[in-house]
Amino acid sequence: MTTVRLENIRKVYSNGFEAVHNLDLVINEGEFVVLVGPSGCGKTTVLRMVAGLEEISSGKLIFGDRLMNSIAPRDRDIAMVFQNYALYPHMTVEENIGFALKLRKVPKEETRNRVREAASILALDAWLERKPSQLSGGQRQRVAMGRAMVREPSVFLMDEPLSNLDAKLRVQMRAEVSRIQRRLGVATLYVTHDQTEAMTMGDRVAVLEGGRLQQCDVPQALYDRPANSFVAAFIGSPSMNLYEAQMSEDGLSLKLGSQRVTLPGVVFERHPALVGFRGRPVIVGIRPEHLHIPRAEGEPFFAGDIDLIEALGSELLVHFSIDAKSVHAGKVEEEPDALAMVSGEGIARTGPKVKIATGSRVEIGVDAEELQFFDPDGGASIWA
Amino acid sequence: MASPVIRSEDERTEPLLEPLTGAKKRIRIAPGRAVIFAVLAVVSVIIMYPFYFMAVTSMRSEAQYQLGRGFSLSSWTQLFASVPVAREMMNSLLVCTVAIAIILTLSTTAGFALAKAHFRGHGLVLLGLVGGMMIPVQSIIIPEYVNFVGLHLINSYLGAILVYVAVGTPFATFLMTTYFRGVPEELVDAGRCDGLGYAGVFRRIALPIAKPALATVIVLQFIPIWNDLLVGLLFLQEPTVRTFTVGLGVLASSRVVSIPGLMAGSLLSTIPAAAVYVIFQRFLVSGLTLGASR
Amino acid sequence: MSSASAVIVAETVAEVRSRRLSLDRDRSRTGVMLVIPAVATVTAFLFIPIGEAIYYSMTNWNGITSQWIGPSAYLAMFKNPLFWRVLENNAILLLAVPVTLVCGVTLAALLNERVRGWRIFRAAIIIPTAVSWVVLGIVGIQAFAQNGMLNSMLGSVGLKFLEHNWLGSPLSALIAVAITFVYSLVGVNTLIFVTGMATIDPSVYEAAKLDGASWWQGFTRITIPLLRRYFMFTFVITAISAFSALFSLIFTMTSGGPNYGTTTIEFFIYDQAFATGAFGTGALLGVVLLVILASVSLLQLRLMNRGE
Ligand SMILES: Nc1ncnc2c1ncn2[C@@H]1O[C@H](COP(=O)(O)OP(=O)(O)O)[C@@H](O)[C@H]1O
Ligand SMILES: [Mg+2]
Repeated sequence: MTTVRLENIRKVYSNGFEAVHNLDLVINEGEFVVLVGPSGCGKTTVLRMVAGLEEISSGKLIFGDRLMNSIAPRDRDIAMVFQNYALYPHMTVEENIGFALKLRKVPKEETRNRVREAASILALDAWLERKPSQLSGGQRQRVAMGRAMVREPSVFLMDEPLSNLDAKLRVQMRAEVSRIQRRLGVATLYVTHDQTEAMTMGDRVAVLEGGRLQQCDVPQALYDRPANSFVAAFIGSPSMNLYEAQMSEDGLSLKLGSQRVTLPGVVFERHPALVGFRGRPVIVGIRPEHLHIPRAEGEPFFAGDIDLIEALGSELLVHFSIDAKSVHAGKVEEEPDALAMVSGEGIARTGPKVKIATGSRVEIGVDAEELQFFDPDGGASIWA
Repeated sequence: MASPVIRSEDERTEPLLEPLTGAKKRIRIAPGRAVIFAVLAVVSVIIMYPFYFMAVTSMRSEAQYQLGRGFSLSSWTQLFASVPVAREMMNSLLVCTVAIAIILTLSTTAGFALAKAHFRGHGLVLLGLVGGMMIPVQSIIIPEYVNFVGLHLINSYLGAILVYVAVGTPFATFLMTTYFRGVPEELVDAGRCDGLGYAGVFRRIALPIAKPALATVIVLQFIPIWNDLLVGLLFLQEPTVRTFTVGLGVLASSRVVSIPGLMAGSLLSTIPAAAVYVIFQRFLVSGLTLGASR
Repeated sequence: MSSASAVIVAETVAEVRSRRLSLDRDRSRTGVMLVIPAVATVTAFLFIPIGEAIYYSMTNWNGITSQWIGPSAYLAMFKNPLFWRVLENNAILLLAVPVTLVCGVTLAALLNERVRGWRIFRAAIIIPTAVSWVVLGIVGIQAFAQNGMLNSMLGSVGLKFLEHNWLGSPLSALIAVAITFVYSLVGVNTLIFVTGMATIDPSVYEAAKLDGASWWQGFTRITIPLLRRYFMFTFVITAISAFSALFSLIFTMTSGGPNYGTTTIEFFIYDQAFATGAFGTGALLGVVLLVILASVSLLQLRLMNRGE
């Protein structure tokens, strides 16, 4: 049982590129921490530094009370699951899973039992004699898990282990990986670019962008109180609507493009610091489920042009546009579709029975209590 | 462009020469498949004719050969009487085996280092070795010969072996480097996480999965070494250390043995190379096309 | 701003360098250990001899003693008509290269049709590759003799006027060498082209067929262009073989004669050094051969890179 601490860790690649900036992160004993962020943000780099596969440029990596910076990977007692599984093609499933034990000179009999046990947990019993090339993607993924499991390591590292599976299997394996991790109670750092995976699996989620840690907290806190506009946009699907807006001098309304949206007093109760932004530009954020069509009586609203309606059965996703400038914080490159380019687009989530026509202009109600605000300078969220 | 031509072991079931989709799928307006068959048949007969000639002639005595009729084993007995066939075959086998074993050792270790265990200046080393591929044996044979006279390596197996190794290692290393480059980095990482150092990764992971590449090196080196005359002629002059090919070459130029006897020897010399060739055919192609596909 | 960040980067790179020591040490140390045996062997028995060859090429070395001549040794060689005679032989032999390629690609296209028994035909076409040049030389003498296979074949197809004692005169002996060369190498060429053709997506042909292309058009407009790299590659290996693989064949079949008619540069090296004892001249010719081969290889690299 080990606590993993990353203190002020930096990674500068030999070409001078600084991939990770001063990262602080703690993974407590038995905790499942998910490191999430868009591709290229440095997740793999962090994981490889923890594994010892990549040199740490500066800062400290501590397991328990041991400084690990210059310990070779084989002496770190870590187990890693790779995105492409990295199964040894010349070994059977049984040999793959037992390889690390064999290298550690664990007695044959014990190795055998531990491999069998892991295999039965993973429902691989029938495939032990097969070579990896004779397995399906899902089976290979489970062998990779098994290889990490039998080790009973002090730290688990997983780099997008589910991203090569098809959608259905991925959802299934999410639960299975979580279950196994709970059962082993090993400190786990799990990397993914999929925020849904992060939210559903992590005890805590660390959001990384451009090599910098944006926020690390329990999933609900990331959703409810994102530390900045990047986290706000990255966590949640469909993502939060973010617009540039201007607060009136008296603080009673918000200028959203050519429209004026009234701000009830509750907004300032929840965001006292917003007082300082009177008469200044702010970024306003609202999640799709906090926009109402049709609007409720007495709530603030704005009018939007309906571009597209996606009927998902249980709900509708209503795409609209307004003439305010929308803010893309990080997600733009993730989903480069044509709609995202239209300025002032947004999404509202409504019940399935609502009648709206594409091309019409409707009034969209705003749940003022759920409004979020960010400083246009740097994107930090505005609370107290 | 194309993936490394040498496939990893688990893909071995797929023969290299097969097209990716089945033959049935290719729909083409062919100029009469019977014509194609006929052309291929005629070409094959012409190509195989010398083998038929060798076989038939070797089964005749000198007189029968002149006459063009009759069969006997006399030229075979004559061959075995005038040439230490078994000895020369053993010499050939020894020289080939040892030379190839050394080439395999040098090329797998260096290939792994150049592909996966980078060190300062590895690029230069690779460049140097690739440059060495261009050096033909004829360009070094004279200084090598003189050096080896000084080292008393003439008429010793070691001398010839070292020449074969020197000339064969650069290409074999290039081939192994290319192969190991195709091994995913994650496999190395997985091995290191599981408890191996780089040397262990080489021995326990890289080497076992390189079997197809090893086979390619074997076939690409065996045939030229088995069939070599020049190096053997200079470095293995004594009849006791001579390889079979050299023996045959000397026999042919000395003209002491009849034509049927020479044919018997020719046939005998062709069998091992052809056998290696047929068995390893797939790997020959993969090695040969290495240069074409990338 | 930018200069400030440049300073930071410079610092961090230096920092990275100094830290290299700990974790990457296993890798670089293992790498060096593993590469040393190959580098040492190749240096001792390939690079040093080629250096010696370059040095001795400018001397009158006889294997024991040598006197420095200098680069003028090359000039003297370039003035030697025999040298040009030999290069001319090489040039003529080079003409066999395109012949080999055309035969190879044609046979590959035919094999690619997968007619009944194509595997047997493939094996038959490839098998000469395994046969040593010594054997080919021995059989070649019989094949090109006055009463040999070639003449009897010519006679039986009504080309009796072409009958000839092939090895008896310089040019025809060289042609005989060239024919043997094609015979030996056509199989490898075919094999490489078959592999190349297997990489072509059959749907390309189907699309062409829908556009109304004939078999021949498919061959010339799709197969040939898509095999560009394979053509360059086979050209280079076949050309290199023409320069440096024929010693044994010439030694057994013609001994370079008649009258230097089949002496190529590689045979000339042997002839000069070990028949005449002019080791310096042999070394010089070896350097010339290396330069030729290096030029061919570099040309290939240029062409291949340009094609990207
Ligand atoms: N060996 C390397 N040298 C230089 N830059 C690298 C190296 N490896 C990764 N990078 C860069 O570091 C950044 C982070 O990479 P990575 O950690 O793989 O991202 P992620 O796993 O989040 O997609 C990327 O911009 C990548 O281009
Ligand atoms: Mg990654």
